[in-house]
Amino acid sequence: MIFTNHKIEFDPEKCVGCQLCYKACFVDVIRWDAEAKKPVFKYVEDCEHCFYCQSVCAKEAIKVIPDHSSEHLLQHFERYA
Amino acid sequence: MEITRKELSCDVLIAGGGIGGLVCAVELKEKRPDLDVLIVEKQVTGFGGKANKGGGVLQYFQLDKITPMDFLQFHVNEIGCYLGDQDLMIKYVEMNHGMLDKMTEWGIKIPKKPDGSYAVMPTGPFTAMISCELDLCLRMRRTAEKLGVRIMDKTAVAELFTDNGKVIGAAAYSILDDGTFYSISAKKVVLATGSQNYRFGSMWSSGRGDGIGAAYRAGAEMRNAEFGNFFQLVRVKSFHEVVFGENFMYNANNEYVTKNFTDKRETDIPSKAVREWYLNMLNGTGPIHLDYGQMGHPMGGGKPGEGRPPMPPRYGDKFRELNNKDGEIDVDMEVCPMLIGEQSCIKVDHGMQTTIEGLYAIGDASYCGSGVCGAVPAPPARNRGSGILNAVFAGILGADDIAERTLEDVPAICPCQLDKCFETIYAPLYREEGVSEKDVIYLIQKAMAPSDYSVYMEEGRMKEAVALVEEAKALLPKLKAKDMHGVLCCHEAENMVLSAEMHYFASKERKESRGWFLREDYPEMDNENWLKWIVIKNEDGQMTMSTEDVPIEKYPIQPAK
Repeated sequence: MIFTNHKIEFDPEKCVGCQLCYKACFVDVIRWDAEAKKPVFKYVEDCEHCFYCQSVCAKEAIKVIPDHSSEHLLQHFERYA
Repeated sequence: MEITRKELSCDVLIAGGGIGGLVCAVELKEKRPDLDVLIVEKQVTGFGGKANKGGGVLQYFQLDKITPMDFLQFHVNEIGCYLGDQDLMIKYVEMNHGMLDKMTEWGIKIPKKPDGSYAVMPTGPFTAMISCELDLCLRMRRTAEKLGVRIMDKTAVAELFTDNGKVIGAAAYSILDDGTFYSISAKKVVLATGSQNYRFGSMWSSGRGDGIGAAYRAGAEMRNAEFGNFFQLVRVKSFHEVVFGENFMYNANNEYVTKNFTDKRETDIPSKAVREWYLNMLNGTGPIHLDYGQMGHPMGGGKPGEGRPPMPPRYGDKFRELNNKDGEIDVDMEVCPMLIGEQSCIKVDHGMQTTIEGLYAIGDASYCGSGVCGAVPAPPARNRGSGILNAVFAGILGADDIAERTLEDVPAICPCQLDKCFETIYAPLYREEGVSEKDVIYLIQKAMAPSDYSVYMEEGRMKEAVALVEEAKALLPKLKAKDMHGVLCCHEAENMVLSAEMHYFASKERKESRGWFLREDYPEMDNENWLKWIVIKNEDGQMTMSTEDVPIEKYPIQPAK
C-alpha cells in the first residue's frame, strides 16, 4: 500500500554487515552503504512491513514497527448502510 | 545527473529472478549448456518475486487416486468454466510429479515421509498440496550459478527492442544511484516478471506488471485481462489473509451466509464470497465475521491463521512468526475482501512464446494469457499451490521450446529505438516539476480495490472506476522522480495504469458472468455468445480489442447443451 507510515528501528552496533536485509528487501526500501558496510533505510515510505528484513537478520539488529492505522482497504464502506 | 550507457549481449535474456525465471534458466542450461543465459532482476535474484514469501505450498495431484482427466473435468466445470485451454491443463497435471522430482534434483527441499513419498496434504477430492521451504528461490539461484547462468541484480528491464516484428533485446537500467542504461542484445527474451498486483497487499507487492507493460508496448497480444482481480478475505485491522475463510462466513445477524453462494466446501475462495460480503454490507447485515464453530479449520489448527500443517523448523519460521504476531492486533474475526490483483495477461502459445517472435512470457506474467486456467485470475486461481507449480511448468515449457530452436544472430539495435527508450525511461528524472507516482497509484488503487468496482461489476460502477483510471492516466506525462528509485516507481505506476485500463476495457466487453468473473447486470454464463477469449493489443498507441473463439469442440470437456 502507499501513503503508509511504517517505521524501521536499526541498531548499527549489532549489525555485522552481512547484506541479507539489503538483499531481502524486494521493494527497494533498503540500500547498502559499501563504505560503512551497513544498510541504509533510504525509502522507508515504501516499506510494506513484510518483516522479511527483520526475519533474515540473525543478529536481531532490525525491528519493523508497522503503523496499521496508515493502511486502508479502499472499500466503499461509506456507501453501505 | 549523467547517465552512463552500456551495451550487453547474450543468447537468452530472462527478465525476472523469481522461481519462474530461475527454473527457465536452469532447464535451459541443462538442455543447452552452450547458451549464454542472463537473468536480469530489478531487486535480488532468489529474494525477489512472490514464491519465497506468499508462497510455500506446491500443488500435488494424487495420481494414484485420480486421473488427469478427473481433475480436468473438475477444473473445467467448477473453476475454469470452459474458458481454459484444456490441452495445456492436462499437460500441467501430467507433469506434476516430474516437476516435483526435478525441483528436488535442483536442490529445493520438498518434505518427504519416511517411506520416501512426498508429504502430501489433501485439500479436497481433486486437490492436494505439499508445504515447502521458503528458501526455494535461493537454492535455485545457487543451482543456476553453478550451471553458468549470469545474473545481474538491481537492474530493471523496462522496454523491448524489435526488428522486423521480432524481439531482439531489451532496455534496462540500474535502479541504484548511478542509473546506468543497458541496451541488451538477445536472441530470445523471456519475461518472468510476475503479475500485476497494484502494490496493494504486502506479500504480493513485487508484482507490478513490468513485463506486461513492456510486452504490450512492443505490440504483443494480451488475453484474459479481465481476470486480474483476485481478492482474498482478510482480517480488518491487520489485513492478514484468512485462507479458506469463505467456508465460515456469518453476518451481523449471525446467519451462516456461506450457504447463499455454495453448498459444498470450496477448494479456495470464489468471487461469489466477495459478492456475498458486498451484498451484506449493502443491505445492512454486515459486517461479516468468521465462525469456525465445531467444524474446525479445514487445514487443522482450529483457529484462523493457523492454516498450515505442522512442520519441522525451517527457513521461513521467523518470517511467519513475525507475520503471525502482527496479526494479533485483530481481536475478533471480522473480515473484509482485500485486493490482491494477479493480472497475468500476456498471451502465449504452448511453448510460452508470445505473439511476437523471440519474446516469451512465463509464470505469473502469462498465466491467464496462456489460457491454462480459464475464467479465474492467476494463482492461487482457486487452486492452492498452483502459483509455484505453474511458474515451474511454464519455465520448463519455455526453456524446452527455446532449446529446440536454432538461435540465429540478431541485427544491431536501431539507434532510434535506443534513443527513444533512453529518453522515455529517464524522462521523470528531468522534469522540473510534476506529480509523485503515489498520486497516480492511489487513483489506480481506488479504481481497483473496491469489490463493487472490480469483482462484482456493473456498467455504471465500472464507469466510475474508469474515470479514476483516466484521471491517473492523465497524470502520467507529469510524473516526476528525484532519483532512480523514483524512476522505477514511476514506471511501475505507468504499468499499473495500463493494467487497470485493460481490466476495465475487457470487463465492460464481457457481458456475462463466468467463473471468477461476475457482473451484476449480466448474471448468467452465456455459452452461446461468450465462449470467447478477449484479446487486447496496442496498435499505434491505441488499445484495440478482438475476440477469439475457444476451440471447445476439440476439447474433451464441453458445457451441457
